[in-house]
Order: sequence, then C-alpha cells, then structure tokens
Amino acid sequence: MIGYVAGDSPLHRAHPYTPLAWAGALLLVAFAVSTPAAIGSVVLAAVATAAVGRVVPSVMRPALLLALPTWGLLLVLHGVLGPDPRVALGPLSLSQPGLARALVLGGRITAILFAFLTVLATVSPPRLVEAMTARGVPFGRIYLLVSTLTLVPRMRSRAALILEAQQCRGLRLGGSPPARLRALGPLVLPLVLGALAEVDEQVLALDARGVTSGARRTPLAPPPDRAGERALRWVLGLLVVAAYAAKFAGHGL
Amino acid sequence: MKPIVRLRGGSFTYPGAPAPALHGLDLELRRGEVTAVTGPIGAGATTLLLVAAGFAPRLTGGTLAGERESLAVRPGIVFATPWTQLTGLCHTVRAEVAFGPASHGRPREQVLAVADRVMGQAQVDHLADRDPHTLSGGELQRVIIASALALEPDLLVLDDPAAELDPAAADALYALLREVAEAGAAVLVATPDVERAARVATRALRLEQGRVVKDGPPSEVLA
Repeated sequence: MIGYVAGDSPLHRAHPYTPLAWAGALLLVAFAVSTPAAIGSVVLAAVATAAVGRVVPSVMRPALLLALPTWGLLLVLHGVLGPDPRVALGPLSLSQPGLARALVLGGRITAILFAFLTVLATVSPPRLVEAMTARGVPFGRIYLLVSTLTLVPRMRSRAALILEAQQCRGLRLGGSPPARLRALGPLVLPLVLGALAEVDEQVLALDARGVTSGARRTPLAPPPDRAGERALRWVLGLLVVAAYAAKFAGHGL
Repeated sequence: MKPIVRLRGGSFTYPGAPAPALHGLDLELRRGEVTAVTGPIGAGATTLLLVAAGFAPRLTGGTLAGERESLAVRPGIVFATPWTQLTGLCHTVRAEVAFGPASHGRPREQVLAVADRVMGQAQVDHLADRDPHTLSGGELQRVIIASALALEPDLLVLDDPAAELDPAAADALYALLREVAEAGAAVLVATPDVERAARVATRALRLEQGRVVKDGPPSEVLA
C-alpha cells in the first residue's frame, strides 16, 4: 500500500521534516557510495527505518513490486551483457563487474523506494502542512508537495468507487488479457475526466478560502520540533557532505 | 443602500464556447437579501453565481462583457458536491472549517473561535474532531457550509446546497441562509427547491437559456 498508515511509532511522532531529511540523506548517500557492500548497508538502513516506523508490511510489497522489474532489467543488461571476467551461476555465465554494477544500481533503487515509501507511510500529510505552514512556506508549494504525496491513495480510492459503479453496470473484469485491457477504458476515462472536473471546483473552493490572499497562513497545530531532532537533521546533512567529500577525494566506499 | 454587486448588460462566454452562457444580465445584490435563482438545467444559474462572486472569468477563463461592479471583499462559495470542496489538507473537521480564516492570516485564537462558532451554526460541532473524509455526504456538506461561513463572507453564493441533505438539514440550512443575510451578507442561492427557497428568499430570479425571464418577489417568481 502506498500512502499514510496511521500509527504511533517514533517516525509518526517525529517532526515531519525529520523522516524527510532521513530519506533525503539516504538518497544522497546511496548515490555517493559505489560498492555492493556499501549500498547493501544503505538498503539495510532504509529497511530498518521502515521497521522503526512499524510499516514494513505496508512498504515491502510496493517497494518490491516497483524494484523487482528494475532488478531483472539490470541483471540482464549488466550481468548477461557486461564485460569479462565472468562467473558461472548454474547454467548462466555472468559478467562479474556487470553483476557488481547491477547490485549497486538495484540497491540504490531499492533503498530509495524503501526510504520514500516509509516517509509516505509515516508522515501525516496534515502534519506536514502544519509544519511547512509554521515555517512560512508559501501555500502553492505546500499544496503541490502534499497533493503529490497523496495522489496515489486519492486516485486509488476514486478508482475503487468507479470500478464498483462500472461493475454494477455490467463491466466484467476477468477473462483474457485483451478483455482485461478493454475493461481499462471504462475505468481510466471516468477516473481522468472526474479528476479534471474536480480540480476545477477545488480551485474555486480553495481560492474562496483565501489561499491566494497573499497573507501568511496561521498554523493551527504545528508539530513540535525538538532540539534533538533539529540536531539529528544537521548531523544527517554533515554525513551527506562527508560522503561526497570522501567520494570526490577518492576515498569513497 | 448601495448594492454589493451590480451587473449591467452582463454577458459571459466560457473559453471556446460558441455562445454566451449568460446574456444581457442586469442584476443588483444587496446586503441583507437572500436572492433565489431557479431555472431549468443549463439555464446559466451556476455561471451567474460564479460571475456575481467574481470567480468568473478570473478563475474560469472566458469573457465577461458589460459592466460589473463589486464591493464584496470576502465572497464565499458552496457547490452541490461537497467532496470536491474539501481542501484535502486537513485531518479534522475543525481544521477544515478553520482553513479559510487561517489562510487570511488571522490570529490562531480568533481562527479557532470563529471555527467553533460556525460549526455550531451549521450543526457540525459534534463532528469537530472527525476526519472529514469519513463523513456522510450530508454531514460533509454541512462542514463545507461551515467552512464558507468561517470566512465571514459579505457575499455568499450557493449552488444547490441542499442536494446532499436530508429534509430536516435542508430546512435548517435555508433558515441559516436567512440568518446570514440578516447578519449583513448578501446571499445568492441557485436551487431547484423552490418551496424552501420561497420561505427564506427576499427576491427571486428565473433564468432560461442564460437570460433572466422573471425577477421579483419569491411569491411571484417561484410560484
């Protein structure tokens, strides 16, 4: 499942900027390291983050569903078609440097997926809005970010409603792949058109409610930002700087 | 008293539309009045609301010909479908209702006080801590009405606002519209519910094919 999962883990209770900073740091470090062992550590850190947020079951499935096709492609591209020397793996002869490259690239994608799906699952969008409002972030940017974060769950719930309605009108979902493809039409068209129509009314409603007034919004319940969390975010920033300094100095992992 | 909105010879055409949605419209809206708009589907009632409140053409695009003068500084709007009017950014009804005044930068205590007051007026105070996405259509519509009232609008336009409401809630809503007008706002409501509108409206318009074909006391226009 992609989207917020209510809970009371340390990540749920944290200031929204802290899990975001953690995920951002993991992303940047994942690109700073270039050995399978190092990237494996980043993946473990990302999975451990999901465990701390108690969202491993929710995050695991979409992360693997999104990562596995990429893994397959990388293994074929780099493992099968990569340069010598080669290693035998059962009946396959695979490129050793190609495999290492595939592990690094696949590991990066896996770590990034785990980290950001964990952020989506543990950062409540309304708390993020309040945190950003308290920092004086303009509403347009807040809306853009939060709409993006909540896009998948919103579209999924709308799609479920449309699917139910279309099934009541006789839409059949089973059958051969071409029949399934044909069934997509009655789902996708109302989904897209409905979303566009909704945007029109929502623009009017938001405008009427003052989002274009130019005033600085009043935060109503800003989440507390403890000194320890602020310090942690600074440490993460320094860690990223150190990782890139080591990489460019030729001491990267 | 000077009208809060005045249209003279107003015609409005949506972008790319071959013909105007409203033609030759003369209209004055005054504080303290509830004006009901009726007419067949497609007559232009929704467009009239958008033009009167200044949302068209500013947000919809299109062309407005004729004269439009407005003194309204805080227009509120309510559509028939409450789901499309949620901000999507609030996890409680109180936050949803408080969204408007908070956007205007009013102090937190004032924002919450206004939100609590209008939730009481719209009879949703018992839902204050609920997630708006878990409410029924009728409950949600009352939350949307409270959200519009929280702006303390000087002009309130409503498009078939009782479509999602049960009869008792619809009665309460129309009574509330009169209270809002008596408190100093101009209210313009497009509705097929002529019976309820006749009870509270001080004036009524009938639109057909984008033109006002009747304008007068509700007892005459809505009969």
